[in-house]
Amino acid sequence: MNSFRHANLARRDCLKLGLGALMGGGLSGALKASSMARGKSQAKSVILVWLDGGPTHYETFDPKPDAPLEIRGNFSPIATKVPGIKVSQHLPKLAAIAHRLAILRSVRHDQGNHGAGNHYMMTGAPPRIPVGCGAFVSYHPSLGSVTASEIPAPEGLPSYFSLPSMTRSGGPNFLGSKFAPFVVDGSPNSPNFRVRDVTLPKEMDGAKTLSRQEMRQAVDRFARFADKQLNDPSLALDDHYRQGLDLMRSARAQAAFDIHNEPDRIRDSYGRNDFGQRALLARRLVEAGVPFIVLNEGGWDHHGGLFPALEKRLPTFDATLAALIEDMAQRGILDSTLVLVLGEFGRTPQINKDGGRDHWSNAMSILFAGGGTPGGQVIGATDRQGYAAVERVLSPEHFAATVYAKLGIDPAKILYAGNGRPAHLVSNPETIAELMG
Amino acid sequence: MLWLTTFLLSLGQPPAGWRIEPPSIHLTGKWSPCQVRVLDPLGKDRTSESRFSITGKIASVDPHGRVLALVAGEDKLMVTCQGANIEAPIRVEAGNATPPTFEKDIQPLLTRLGCNSGPCHGKQRGQNGFQLSLFGFDNDFDYHALTSESRGRRVFLSAPRNSLLLKKPSGEVPHGGGKRLPADSPAFAQILAWLETGQGRTPANTPALTGIQVFPREISGGNKEQFQLRVEASFTNGARQDVTHLAAFQSSESVLAEVDADGRIRIGPLPGQAAVTARFMDHFSTCQVTIPVGARGKTLPGRLPSEHFIDRRLSDQFEKLGLAPSEPASDTTFLRRIYLDLLGVLPRPEETQAWLGDPSPGKREKLARQLLDRPEFAEFQANKWADLLRPNPYRTGIKAVYNLNSWLRESFRKNTPFDQFAREVITAEGSTFRNGAAVVFRDRREPEEITPIISQLFLGMRLECAKCHHHPFEVYSQEDFFRFAAYFSRIGRKGTGLSPPISGSEEIVFLANSGTVKHPLTGEVLDPAPLKGKPRAIPAGEDPRKALAEWITRESPLFAKAAVNRVWADLMGRGLVDPVDDLRATNPPANPALLDALAEDFIKNAFDIKKLHYSIVTSRGYGLSSEPNQRNQGDGQNYSRHYRKRPRAEVLHDMIGSVTGSRADFAAMPAGSLAMEIWTFRSPSEFLDSFGRPDPNQDPPCDRSGDSTMVQALHLMNGKGVLARIQDEAGVVKNLAAAQIPLEKAVEELYLRCYCRAPAPLELQAVLNIAKKPGSARRQILEDLLWALINTPEFILID
Repeated sequence: MNSFRHANLARRDCLKLGLGALMGGGLSGALKASSMARGKSQAKSVILVWLDGGPTHYETFDPKPDAPLEIRGNFSPIATKVPGIKVSQHLPKLAAIAHRLAILRSVRHDQGNHGAGNHYMMTGAPPRIPVGCGAFVSYHPSLGSVTASEIPAPEGLPSYFSLPSMTRSGGPNFLGSKFAPFVVDGSPNSPNFRVRDVTLPKEMDGAKTLSRQEMRQAVDRFARFADKQLNDPSLALDDHYRQGLDLMRSARAQAAFDIHNEPDRIRDSYGRNDFGQRALLARRLVEAGVPFIVLNEGGWDHHGGLFPALEKRLPTFDATLAALIEDMAQRGILDSTLVLVLGEFGRTPQINKDGGRDHWSNAMSILFAGGGTPGGQVIGATDRQGYAAVERVLSPEHFAATVYAKLGIDPAKILYAGNGRPAHLVSNPETIAELMG
Repeated sequence: MLWLTTFLLSLGQPPAGWRIEPPSIHLTGKWSPCQVRVLDPLGKDRTSESRFSITGKIASVDPHGRVLALVAGEDKLMVTCQGANIEAPIRVEAGNATPPTFEKDIQPLLTRLGCNSGPCHGKQRGQNGFQLSLFGFDNDFDYHALTSESRGRRVFLSAPRNSLLLKKPSGEVPHGGGKRLPADSPAFAQILAWLETGQGRTPANTPALTGIQVFPREISGGNKEQFQLRVEASFTNGARQDVTHLAAFQSSESVLAEVDADGRIRIGPLPGQAAVTARFMDHFSTCQVTIPVGARGKTLPGRLPSEHFIDRRLSDQFEKLGLAPSEPASDTTFLRRIYLDLLGVLPRPEETQAWLGDPSPGKREKLARQLLDRPEFAEFQANKWADLLRPNPYRTGIKAVYNLNSWLRESFRKNTPFDQFAREVITAEGSTFRNGAAVVFRDRREPEEITPIISQLFLGMRLECAKCHHHPFEVYSQEDFFRFAAYFSRIGRKGTGLSPPISGSEEIVFLANSGTVKHPLTGEVLDPAPLKGKPRAIPAGEDPRKALAEWITRESPLFAKAAVNRVWADLMGRGLVDPVDDLRATNPPANPALLDALAEDFIKNAFDIKKLHYSIVTSRGYGLSSEPNQRNQGDGQNYSRHYRKRPRAEVLHDMIGSVTGSRADFAAMPAGSLAMEIWTFRSPSEFLDSFGRPDPNQDPPCDRSGDSTMVQALHLMNGKGVLARIQDEAGVVKNLAAAQIPLEKAVEELYLRCYCRAPAPLELQAVLNIAKKPGSARRQILEDLLWALINTPEFILID
């Protein structure tokens, strides 16, 4: 009953909007302008899976079977669908779709702690000053915030989501909070999951809501200073109030959030766990037109007990990722959706006394799939024992430039901070040609 | 009118015809041009409208008035402008015999061309393997990088013209930085000459640069007017030299006044003030640009009718800029503003009614005195300072954070003078379980970690840059930074150090017997010294931090300014210096006289924080309406109207508590506590997080977001917590619904609670009309009304 009423409202609003756009050239003009300003894009959306803590490259995408035991570890490599490409034994489902994957094995940088590593990979810029391990720093806008500022999402949907929390350096920095991620906390795996505050409280039926809106209209007599140079904060409040209402009324948004509508078969294939259902929600957001989604997955900082932990973790990780990629391929949206899997850095070659690996930024692996990325390839290599990237050595700047270029955002662009300070979007805008397709 | 003022002012000056600056032009050597300025009889800059010529062959002049020597001799510069003909003698001396040298001639060129800037070869790892020191602060390093590295390809001795140093920036060989040095430019010729003559270093006995001076120091102009700047350098031997062509220019507000690479300022359409800074090597000089409001209908510029010291300085500024102040705010607006600004809480309905009904003339002052004595003032101050000092409990331990918080609150409850407060922080020692201030040194441990936070908090200076290289916008070097850090070199600690994420133990901060700070490059042990101040001898057994605290609170001119600027920003919506902790020559205050006067008043009142607040809130300037008039539309930095702001997360939370009569419970706090009394940002609250309270995991942790977001809008509309408070069975709405009073009275009370005013008859009628609908229950109507009131800008903002 509620949704019916809202759908009507939404439709009416659309009509109004359409009319206004026709008459003033407003919205359609704006959309046209924005698509012209952007370059040729391969991807419309990005799902970035952030493995917080720094995933081991040995036990995931860069196994080293020929290294001594204390380096190669307990796991063995397995062959994939693509001859010559091997991955860790606990990733059989990804191995089976290796023709869709591009594995980047040769990114290295010089930031060995979480705060700094997150900043470098999430923004493409190294932290300006040395930062501590526990630090949450922001010196530069994140990939997601930049994307949100360049690519609008349709129908009042936010352009940048982060589930279930923001990553350390995932914020907008000087771009302003308008481009901060819309954080959806809670677990979509829970039977009563809903995106917080975007729907009316249960006890509010449609009539009550209408009377509230009417009441608000009646009491809202506060003077607005429309001239832009007056910087009246009530205009921003009005914008956000309207955006919020749009989101609440947007049938498209509400449908995307309603993961309970997804058939059981699909929900099962993604895995009935937090990560699995968040990945499924991400796919739904992509379908609704959201350009950037981060899945912030904690617990990859394996200083001890690496092998038992991964024996538990990798199978669900493998199942979810493979399901996500394959499901999007079946739906024909993988070509326009870039899936990325990475963390702060790789992990040390020598297994430590606690059976773990420590931070190691001389080598790390990043997984690319979709978004026009040629699959079935490995780019770059570490040395025989996995100590360091040695072939086709690439930097976080290359990574960031590639993501932007795929979205049609010019990585050589210069941004301006509020105080007029110019900042290169990516200081080295060179993209990774093999991934560009 | 304004034009007339300018005209009359100029009549006061000695009669002068058209002028050329400098009146005579001396050029030495062919690579040192001289920029001239042309001024009309009113002193107005006409350089951009002038035509320049030189008849003879000794020098050339470009269309912008830059004179370049060719051969020795004497001649005249002829200038034509608006029918006037003026001339200036030129003398060229044969300085060409001295070949260019590195420090004096080449380094300034590299800086001017941007080679050693942050994004290019000046960045920490250089560019394409070629690294220079940032802005050329390290001559030896740069000379070596140019002449010896890369197997001599940058400088190709046998064929200097083929050196990469020339071929790259001139675009003959692909260059990532683009074409910066055209092969036909004087700079190219000069670098080539340097290469051909043996790449000399500048002899050590060459007169050194002592400073630079930009001309003019002040400019007042309107839309589209242009001004040419000149920059002169002075040297230890008293010589002066035009360095306009080597200076870099930057405007603090490009929107108001933009400056191009040659030092030409172009005024934009908006009135206001800007500072244009010229930099030559490590020296700065600033030109203040004032753009008065032009003719605007019948409104004239005006003063505030008050002799309050703040109002006098504000009024001076209004006159200078042609602004007219807005009307005084209504009593209702003022009441709500001063409660939220001083206490962070809303007045109760009976307080509102009593004050609004008070007819006495001095009631604003009386109210200010009463509010400053309320306990909420101290809690609110502590909440603000907690943003700046309070560490992450996972890092330093829960008990330590709790102690620091208690110490902070106690300081503000006692109204500790601010200089004493600063001394207690800077020199804190003892157990982190007994002296909360000592926790600052549990959190920040290394001298170079402590330095930036102390300088930022108490001097309003961002020294961070100077840790790694000479400060790019300041006079401070790395040595200055580490000498400051040396004051913290003897902090000893015993007990259990940090062991995140628990770190629960006690640590004792004391004066260690030894400890030094070394220059990171030279390794030299540095004695403590204040920034550009005189070091004083530190007795053997004394903690060096004492000397620092004395210097900061008693000698540094920045201490009082930084403090008053913070308070001013809190109350007025924007700091006189913005951002509040970035006081430097290249970021001048919007109203320097006012900042000085506030600092003076603060010192005179023995750093009494309450008196400082009292001074500000009793000024007419504070009590202005936010509504603009024709003459202050564009003013965003001179306080000719009040600037609206959103209260911080805790205040907004407590406001909702007060209008709903329902207080939320926070973990680890007594029931019914205010949000601004919470001792750790770790106390979970969706509301506070949505509204941007600092995340203690952020580093620096003081970042608080004052922006509004869609998440906030959604939370106010639909948040479960907000709704539950409106519907609270012990809350205001429930009680009003049950009370034996007419609906009008209930509506009025909600208006009083939320907006601090009674509804206008039309507003009341509109609400009652909605209430008349069949089937509307009284409680439901009042809940809807309260929800509606909370979800409007009139509630969310401080007007």
